[in-house]
Order: sequence, then C-alpha cells, then structure tokens
Amino acid sequence: MAGSSLHPFTILAVAAAVVATTTAAGIWWISAAVITGCLVLAIRAHCARKLVLLSCAIILPAFTSQLLIHAVAATHGTRILLAAGPVTITAEGLGLAAALGLRTAVLVVAGILCTLLIDRHQLVAAIDLSKAPPQLGYLVAATLFLLPQLAGKQHAIGQAQQLRGVDAGWFQRLRLRSVPLVLGSLQDAAIRAPHLAARGFPATGSRTRWRTVPDSPCQRRIRYAAVACTLLGPLAILAPVWMGA
Amino acid sequence: MGRRQTTAAVSLELEGFRYGSAPADALHGISLQLPPGSLTVVRGASGAGKTTLGMILAGMLPRPGMDTMTGHLELAGTRIGYTPEHTPRIDPAGWATQVGLLPQEAGHYLSGIRETVAEELAFTLENAGVPAPDMAHRVERIARDFDLEHLLQRDPARLSGGQQRLVALAALAVNESKVLVLDEPLAGLDARATALVLDFMDRLRRRGCTLLVLACTTGVLDPDLVLDLEDGTLHASPGGDAPYPVTKRGSVTPDAPVLLEFRDADLGYSSGTSVLKDFELSVRAGECVGLSGPNGAGKSTVLKAAAGLLDCRSGSLRATDTGLLLQNPTDQLFERTVLREVSFGLTKRGQLRQQVPQVLEQLGLADVAESHPYELPASARRLVALATVLVREPKVLLLDEPTEALDQEGIIRLLQVIDGILEVGGAVLFTCHDWRFMEATAHRVQHLGGNGPRGRDRSPTTG
Amino acid sequence: MSPHLILVETSDRHRQRGRLLTTIGTVLLIGTYLMLVTTQPDGLVDGLGQGVALATFAAYLAAAILLLAAVLPDLPVSTLTLIPVALALNILLGQLVGSVMIPLYLDSIGTVMVGFLAGRRAGAATGVLGTLIWSLFSPTVLPFAAGAALVGFLAGTAARFGALRRVYLAPVAGLFSGVVVGVISAPVAAFVFGGTSGVGTGAVVAAFRSMGDSLLSAVTKQALLSDPGDKALVFLLAALLVYALPGRLSGGFDFVRRYRVLGQRGTR
Repeated sequence: MAGSSLHPFTILAVAAAVVATTTAAGIWWISAAVITGCLVLAIRAHCARKLVLLSCAIILPAFTSQLLIHAVAATHGTRILLAAGPVTITAEGLGLAAALGLRTAVLVVAGILCTLLIDRHQLVAAIDLSKAPPQLGYLVAATLFLLPQLAGKQHAIGQAQQLRGVDAGWFQRLRLRSVPLVLGSLQDAAIRAPHLAARGFPATGSRTRWRTVPDSPCQRRIRYAAVACTLLGPLAILAPVWMGA
Repeated sequence: MGRRQTTAAVSLELEGFRYGSAPADALHGISLQLPPGSLTVVRGASGAGKTTLGMILAGMLPRPGMDTMTGHLELAGTRIGYTPEHTPRIDPAGWATQVGLLPQEAGHYLSGIRETVAEELAFTLENAGVPAPDMAHRVERIARDFDLEHLLQRDPARLSGGQQRLVALAALAVNESKVLVLDEPLAGLDARATALVLDFMDRLRRRGCTLLVLACTTGVLDPDLVLDLEDGTLHASPGGDAPYPVTKRGSVTPDAPVLLEFRDADLGYSSGTSVLKDFELSVRAGECVGLSGPNGAGKSTVLKAAAGLLDCRSGSLRATDTGLLLQNPTDQLFERTVLREVSFGLTKRGQLRQQVPQVLEQLGLADVAESHPYELPASARRLVALATVLVREPKVLLLDEPTEALDQEGIIRLLQVIDGILEVGGAVLFTCHDWRFMEATAHRVQHLGGNGPRGRDRSPTTG
Repeated sequence: MSPHLILVETSDRHRQRGRLLTTIGTVLLIGTYLMLVTTQPDGLVDGLGQGVALATFAAYLAAAILLLAAVLPDLPVSTLTLIPVALALNILLGQLVGSVMIPLYLDSIGTVMVGFLAGRRAGAATGVLGTLIWSLFSPTVLPFAAGAALVGFLAGTAARFGALRRVYLAPVAGLFSGVVVGVISAPVAAFVFGGTSGVGTGAVVAAFRSMGDSLLSAVTKQALLSDPGDKALVFLLAALLVYALPGRLSGGFDFVRRYRVLGQRGTR
C-alpha cells in the first residue's frame, strides 16, 4: 500500500489541514481540485473504485437533501427558474446547494481516502505509541476486529434459529436473532476481562510496542506544519473577509 | 499480611467461597498445597467448581464488593487473608507473574487485537513496558523453546483450536509465572494436538513450572497427585478414571428403510464453491453412523445439508424428518428459563408440548427447568440444546461434535438418547473427534477426506 | 524481592483531572450551542458561513474528545471489554432491526446498553468512540460525536434513577433523551452541512423551510419529529435485551448493583 512508508498520523494531519483550508476558502475550483487530487492518489494506490463507491454512498443522499432544502424549497433568490405550488427553484438556491455539496464532498473523499491508505494495525500501533491513554488503542482495535467476528456469529445464529423451524412474527424473529447474539457476546466480554487484566492491561507505567511505525524527522515536521495549518489556515483565509464585513 | 516460610509453590486454605447473590457456597473446606515443580490434577464433573477454584488461585475471584470468601492463600512468601468483610484488591498483573491461568477456551486468553502471533505473545511485555530489543529476544526464545517458530507470523484469529491453545500457553509462558493453572487443556483436541499440548506441558515442567490441571478426567496425563472435586470440596482420589461407558449395538436389519441418503451429491453454499463433491452415504432405520476425517473435510457440511441448511447442488439428497444439534449450541439459546427454551415454538396444547417434562427428565434437566440456560455449567447447557432438538421427535438425529463440553454423566445421557432414537426405528448420524465415543456408539464409521476439495469448512460470511 | 500482589489505593488525582475535562467539554458544547441559537448566523457559504461551519465542527468534536479523555482512564477492564462489543452491536442490531421492521436509523442500541449496565460515564465514552471509529467509514458523522456521547450519558442517568425497574419507563426516558439529543445535534446538520444525511429527512426539512422556518428551526423540528421516537424504541429494545441477560452477568456490573438498576428483576 502507498501509505505503508508513511506514519498514519502524517496522513491524517495532512488530510485535516487540506479539508480545513479548503472549507474555509469555499472556492469551487479549489474544492474540485482537491477531490481530483484525492482521486489521483487513489488511482496510484489502486483503490479508486472503492473510494468512489464508498464516497458516493454518503455524498449522494446528503447532496439530495441539500438540493431539496435549498434549491427546491428556496426561500430567497430572485432568479426564479421554476415556480409550481410549494416548489420554487432559484438559481441562487441551486448555487447554494452545490457549494454545500462540494463542502461535504471534500470532507468525505479526503476522509475515506485516509481510511483506505492507512493500515489498521499501523493506526492502532501509532495510537498505542502516542501519548493517548492506553485504553484508546485497545478499544479502536477491538472494535475493528470484533465486527467481522460478530457478523460471522450472527450468521451462525441465523442458521441455528432456522433449524428450529419456528414460524414467528417480527418481534419473535427479532428476539430469536438478537438475544443469542447479545447474550453470547456480552458473556464473552465478561470472561475476557480478568484475563486481559492479568496480561497487564491497561498499562499503568510506560508501554512499548513490538511493532514499529515508520517515522522520520521530516514526517514529524510535516505533521507539525499540517496541524498549524489546520488551526491557522482557516483564520488566515477568513480574517480578511470578517474585517471587510 | 505476614511472611512465613512454606515449601509449597502456592497453598490455599479455604473455609468457604460464595458467588455474589448465590444462596450457598460454591466451594468449602478446601486445603490445597502445590509442591514446586509438581503436576496436580483436580478432577470433577462440569459445574463442580473447578474453574472457580482455578480463578481463586489466579486471584480473579473473589471480586471485591461481590463475592465472599473466608480463608487465606500463601504465595511467594506472602499470606493473603480473605474475610467476608474484607476482600483484598488484587493487582492482576503482579499476581499473574506468580500464578497464571489458561481458560477453558484459549481464545479468551488472547487479546484478539494483534495481527500476528509474535505480537500476541508480546502483548504482556508491551504492557509492562519492556524495551523493544529485550521483548523481541524473549518472544523468540519462547518460540524456540516451545517449537512455535512456524506460527509466529500467522494471524491468531485464523489458527485451529489446538494451535490457539499452544499460542495461549506460550503467551502464559512469556510471563514466567511460577504456577500455571490449566483449565481443561486437552478438551476437544484430536490426537495430534493432544500430543503437542502434552509436550508443551512437559517443557513447562522442565523449566520448573508448577502445574495444576483442571479436567473432567485424568486421561493421558501422568500426574503426581490426583484430587476429586465433588460437592464443593476436594477429596483424595480413589484411583483412575471411571470406565468409559460401553453400549452394545445390535445389528441393523438389512432391509430396514433408508432414512437418509446422499447420492453423488455436490454440497456447498449457493454462492460459494462446493465443499464436498460426489458424496455417497445412506443411513438405515436403527443405524448409528459416525463421520470421521480431518478438520475441513466437510463433516459439518454433510450434517448441515442433511438438515436442509445447505443446498445439494447436483446429485440427490433424501432426508426424512431431521433434527440437528449444532457444534456451538449456545447460538440458539435465548429464553430466560430452560423450560421456556425447550417449549419454545410448540403449541400450548399440542402433543409435542406434553413431551417436554419427559425430555427434561431424560436429560437430567428437570431440576434446573427454571434456571437461565446461561447460568448452567457447560455440559448441562449442551444438553439443553439437545433437548430443544429432541422435543420435536426427529426421525433422524444429526449431532455435530456432541461430546464437546460433555462430562461423563452427560455422555451417558447422550448415549441413552441415541439408544432411544434407534429403538423406535430412527437413525443417528454424528461427527466426533473422540474415538472412544465413536467406538462406543457407532455401527460403522464413514471416513471423509482424501480426494475431496481441501480448505476449511466455513460459510461465506465468516471467511 | 516481593512481588506486587495487592493494589495500593490510588489517589484522587485522576478523578480531579477527569472532572476538569468534563466541565470544560460540557461548557464548550453548551456554549457553542447557545451561541449558535442566539446569533442564528445567516448566509451559509459566504465567509461567515464557512467560519461558522468550521467553528461548529471543531467545537462539537473537541467537546466530545474532552469528554472521552476525561472518562477513559477511569474505566474498569470489564467495561473496556464491553465497549467494543457494544459498538459492534450498534451496527449489527441496527441492521437486524432494519431488516425485520420499518427501516429505522437505530444505531445506538449498544451504546444505550453500556449506559444501562456500566453507567453514564461509560455510556458517554462509548458514544464518542463509536462515532470516532464510524467516521473512518463515514467522515460526516464526526461532529455528531457530542450527540452520541449525550445518548450514552442520558441512558446511564436514566438507569441510575430507575428507568429500568419498570418496562414502560425505558421508552419514556428514551423519548426525553431523544428531544435533548435532537436539539443539541441540530446545529451541526444546519450549519456544518446545510442539510441532513438522508433524502427523507431532507424532504421534511424542505417542507418546514417552505412554510417559512429558518434553517436551524426547520432542522430542529425535523430532529424532534424523528429522534424521540427513534430513541424511545432504542431504549425499549436495549432494556428488553438487558432483561434477557442472566442475573450473574448483569449483576457482575458494579453500577447495576450499586444503583439497583434492575430493581426486583435483578434479585431473581
């Protein structure tokens, strides 16, 4: 993967900086350029298809909602394109919806690209090696790896209940499927706890990791710059506007 | 907390232990000393309190503010006293350097969040803040000492049950605890895995580790001392294991009707690839057939197909009135009481409903009819799942690894159930790792594997 | 050398730090909300709009992370193993309910169960963590972390004051929580994204807008239409699932015993 030589936090920090400044700028061609840039990166990392599919699944409903709210039921704007009963479409409304859609799209595309580029185990190791409390890394990792396991368990439960051949209403069916899942997984969690504690978790003193996360002074500098950019970039862009107002 | 010289690696004097809101003591009047470097076996039926005893030794019970215990433990020259008024708060990590516990299901010991076995082994060291080079050195040494180098780069979640137990044992060994309590370390393992775990235990003893094994039977172990845990207290054992129950199987009438027949069958999930091709099997009324074969040969697939959970994609499959007990029967338990669980889905005045008390009686569950299935010991829980199948009076009983988690009494009940089905002209088809059970009950054994497609038997979603 | 077998009682330093962070987080959240409601910034995409969007995003996210940081170091291990299960259940049970009933957006059953079993602090942590992890797959949920924290917090509070002792009290508590969460989360939808995440909810907001409501009040009204019902159902289902647990399991949680969360049910 393309991200393997990069520290996960570097990717996240750069993404945050790009999203924050792009959102603050609010200029359509910059947003479009950022999205195109993300797509190019995705193509180079061979994950463009996934990026497009996952992003569209979020962007399309959100954009439809924005269109409905701002363009179809426009309350302001003078250039009326269509007026039929409660529906009033104005050019200004369409522009507003498009701008909001672009804002959402930048966040979604950049965010999902991060997820696709970052290796989950490296992310967990990076969290463990950072100053975050030791519990955080465990919780993130356990959730990510438990989900497929529980999905498999749910499949097995579905089979087991099918065997009972019970023709039941929706409430019974829900009970049949959900109660064994909850019972089994909660019981499991309760049994695990003392063994996890016996293995010294959560660490009370300093902790180390077997896994190393690639990092370099250069990357560290990029991270600091990106964080500064995330915080100060929007201010620098928006301050003149506010002064003007 | 005083200091005193003792010869035992750990010694426990327990007047009584009681779980949170339980009406009676789970354990009482126990005095246990484990000499350094010894191997002790504590035997007992499922639910006798073996795991409770192990967890007390491992410092996981009693939980402060919940359970009550009277007595004291001596460990590493320290005496820890327990009274109902005061339960000391244990430092779990510190205690684990003295006494480690391997749970019944080894997967519960593993953190489940590491990509490779090597990282899983390092988990305890990471939490203790051991520097990276030191950590690598210790993990490699453990892997070398216990012959696990070939597993180091594997994903812990994709190991077989036996391999997972070896990895959990190695993770325990990394701690260098003086005493290890192993809960059913050999249960559910085939001959090969059993040999590997036994070898592992030998190596642990050679390193000076004191071992306490909690098990239903002594089996192939060669312990220094055997104790029986019965009625909540320890007795010196009278001797070897009780003899394995034997049943006499009459011959099958050759012209008995065929109840289950696979012909040239191609079995698999509708979307995925076939698990089993050209499969032939017929089971007649009054016949009990065992399926053997290595993991992934498709034994579970045959049973699932017979029960109608899988498609027979070509060839023919004829099955009359089947009932299947799955390998992990807790997947289907959801009611608050055993009685409601077993009666579920049966019409109030139906004929089958009348059978419920009888089935519970037959499986020895009448006394626990009002208990929550999850609060029963593993063996009884398995029998509850069997009861939900039996109450529907299947003609063909399908059992997937039925002996797993069953204790001696449970196995006797299971054998009686099989007899009962055969007597009324039914048939039984089962899979099992335990060759003694196979020999005791099957008329014949069909071996799977050899030229079938390889790979683990798994569903498309769990893969 | 004598090994450490017994724990030394820990100092209160952790707890004080936790309280401080909780206070800052809560003040930040409520302050931001009040500011947005009173000023009702207009113009969504000129300079002012982008500033408001970024500030709302940042303030809500920061508040949630402060709450998480306050709670995390104090959670017992039994709660730490429970939370990942609950987060997986959030997704799986949500899908399950959606597949057998009307497709509702029930994504917090697990969070509410943690609140019921392990208390409001654990519930709040579960809400924030769930959002952080879910944001890896759907980045737009990130600023809703504060709302999710509130769900878990309110579930724990309700359980503490006896909402699980009677079946009918759970949905009532859920209804109330839904109102609070809906109102608090509305500014995120309105000012950060200028709309909702779905087509159906978008149509409802559009209808309110065409009747002359401001964007914030339209989004708030839409949230008040959907959230209380959703949370009432979630609280009810979570309560039923907690009732189905064996007493030994639910009684294993300190919180359940201390506040007699299950009342008579717990003693059976």
